[in-house]
Amino acid sequence: MSTLIIIDQPPYGSWDGREALDMAFSLAAFDQPVSLLFCGAGVNWLRKGQDAAKVQQKSIERNLSAAPIFGVEALLADSDACGRYGLAESDLLEHAIITDFGPELTNRFDHVAFAG
Amino acid sequence: MISFKTLHILNKPPEHSRFSLCLAAIGPEDGLLLTENGVLAVTQRLAIHRERCFALAPDLEARGLSAHLSSDQTVSFDGMVGLAASAQNVISW
Amino acid sequence: MSSSLPEQTKTPAPAGVFTLVITGAPYSSQAPQTALQFAQAVLAAGKRIDRVFLYGDGVHLSSSLSTPPSDELNLSEAWASFLTENNIPGVACIASALRRGLVNEAEMQRYELTASNLRPPFEIAGLGEWVDSAASDSRVLYFHKGG
Repeated sequence: MSTLIIIDQPPYGSWDGREALDMAFSLAAFDQPVSLLFCGAGVNWLRKGQDAAKVQQKSIERNLSAAPIFGVEALLADSDACGRYGLAESDLLEHAIITDFGPELTNRFDHVAFAG
Repeated sequence: MISFKTLHILNKPPEHSRFSLCLAAIGPEDGLLLTENGVLAVTQRLAIHRERCFALAPDLEARGLSAHLSSDQTVSFDGMVGLAASAQNVISW
Repeated sequence: MSSSLPEQTKTPAPAGVFTLVITGAPYSSQAPQTALQFAQAVLAAGKRIDRVFLYGDGVHLSSSLSTPPSDELNLSEAWASFLTENNIPGVACIASALRRGLVNEAEMQRYELTASNLRPPFEIAGLGEWVDSAASDSRVLYFHKGG
């Protein structure tokens, strides 16, 4: 059973993305295949150089960089959204892959889910 | 009952960013079920064949939209269970 | 498409068992009501629900303190009755619940809090409960806020 968790909420302004990450890391911790897809404003999670200290939150950048070590199979970024938010592959965290969104992508997974 | 590869359950109004995301993910063998505020889309033209598009009757009735859709496209909660059980996959948007 | 993407491993059979995940809060989204009507229809169709998992804002449904006006449906009470009558486990995610002030007696004691407010039969447990359903043949359905 492979799962795709989709994050379409931008970082820091809402908690949905963090709770989506928790879902992905839980699946990985139980050895269930899981990938993360960042869509819409959610692609901003993948931008390099985040420092959330002054908004009094934990930066998610380090967590995301460690995702492959935790067992998350892929960090995928929707190409259209990356274009809209000015993100080239070089602006993204290591391991992130720009990909096209559509049924060809979602059909590769048994489960596709949002955290909220 | 028709069985879909993926049943997309959409409860967002057309202005919601996840509405267009959902439409972009619908493949040729998929079905769409509009629920809650998603049923507001029956007032608009959707790029999906009518045989693959359904709306939840109680949500249509609540919003005064029953007349916008033919009866073969409206489903009760029993119908929703049938669609969700028979599809190979379900995505809740 | 990158070749490093995982391939779909198998296709689930037509579902006889459902898991419901509610992430939308009562009184700020329609999610708990839609989920309850769906759950009633699942049982009426002779199918089973292995568990109801509350996640994110959905954990507010497990509050014993929710007190809506008497002419409105008490969603927490309605859900608790449904779960009890049909012997279905209702689980609130521990991380979501503790962040939002939903605690049972054990957590009250552990964190030395002044009160607990989890409505029976809801229990508090980790995301492992959700993983257990997601990894099984159960059909997992999510009820998010509409917007």
